[in-house]
Amino acid sequence: MSYTTITPADAKPVANYKMATRMEGGRLLYIAGQVARDAEGNVLGKGDIRTQARQVFENLRHVLQAAGGDLSDLLKMTTYITRIEDFPAVAEIRSSLFPGELPASTLIVVNRLAQPELLIEVEGMAAIG
Amino acid sequence: MDRRNILADNPVEKRRGYMPGVSVTPGRILFTAGMTGRQPDGTMIAGGMAAQTQRTMERLQAILQRAGAQFAQVIKQVLYITDMEAHAASGRAVRTAFFGEARPASTALGVRRLADPAMLIEIELVVDLPDSPAGQPLLEKYNVENHGLDFAQGVIVNGGRLIYLAGQVANTPDGAVAGVGDWHRQAEQVYANIGHVLRAAGATPAHAVKETTWVLDLASWRQHGTTVRRAFYQGDYPASTLVEIPGLARPEFLVEIEVIAAVAR
Repeated sequence: MSYTTITPADAKPVANYKMATRMEGGRLLYIAGQVARDAEGNVLGKGDIRTQARQVFENLRHVLQAAGGDLSDLLKMTTYITRIEDFPAVAEIRSSLFPGELPASTLIVVNRLAQPELLIEVEGMAAIG
Repeated sequence: MDRRNILADNPVEKRRGYMPGVSVTPGRILFTAGMTGRQPDGTMIAGGMAAQTQRTMERLQAILQRAGAQFAQVIKQVLYITDMEAHAASGRAVRTAFFGEARPASTALGVRRLADPAMLIEIELVVDLPDSPAGQPLLEKYNVENHGLDFAQGVIVNGGRLIYLAGQVANTPDGAVAGVGDWHRQAEQVYANIGHVLRAAGATPAHAVKETTWVLDLASWRQHGTTVRRAFYQGDYPASTLVEIPGLARPEFLVEIEVIAAVAR
């Protein structure tokens, strides 16, 4: 790991994520917001948050792997959703992909994403190597 | 300055004009505040999305120039947009012209409201700077305009260790939400939490580099959060962005604040 997990005694997360990470070395990777598009650019899972969430995290992992890392190298990720009622499904899928804690994390409900059919977008930063 | 474009050959993203990922060895990194089409007198430039985007990019260009950077060195851009259709129709082309052939990693968000109701777009950047950080102060906070507001337009991190905080909300260590329905109390708890996290990471409020504040209501935040924020930073502000959005992870949360900070190696 090229980062340290920060665990304050006097402030706790509201779920299974890290409160902060401090990059100690390696390369800094900024990942564009990932959405539920396949390799051809088609939006998958229209109206289906589970399909979209799985594709988004698959795409996120794909970028991390192309940079020489994986999900465990994420310093921070931000999940943007358009419907708060989708959050439980997103949280469940997300947690299944991270064996321990999630990276430092933020969840925001936005009015919309780049295309109206997109329900979720996830971006992140990672320390690679 | 050893940028790698990740998945640069991916045809989908190539067509969309951004890079799926960009990695660098962090030497000198510039974080800009979220910039808009505001004019020197505080009013918004007339002419809608195209004019606001042009003005926003020119202001970002000035911030980059002060740091000796160009748009080709941008690693990441975040776009906060109140009208996605208008951006697609008349903003995107204006924006991409500034980048030439260069492609940053990008996130575009449709948000409810920006600091001024007339604002249609706000853009913030992360930039990989040339030159060695050796002999430079850890942080260089600067402005290229006399805006008189409580943030720095650019903050350069010179060779520090970056700290990424989770979005901080008004929860207490026992799991309760402080100040349900109470903006002032939530602001106090959020900044208390940020202070705790920074301290645990070896940092102070002065080490904050970039702050993004997500609120459910801008007017309430201004009325109740501003004084708490001022007391926290005591004049030593990070680059910042303030956005109104329709929801956070729990219905009780009124505000969530993300901070990036840096400490010396």
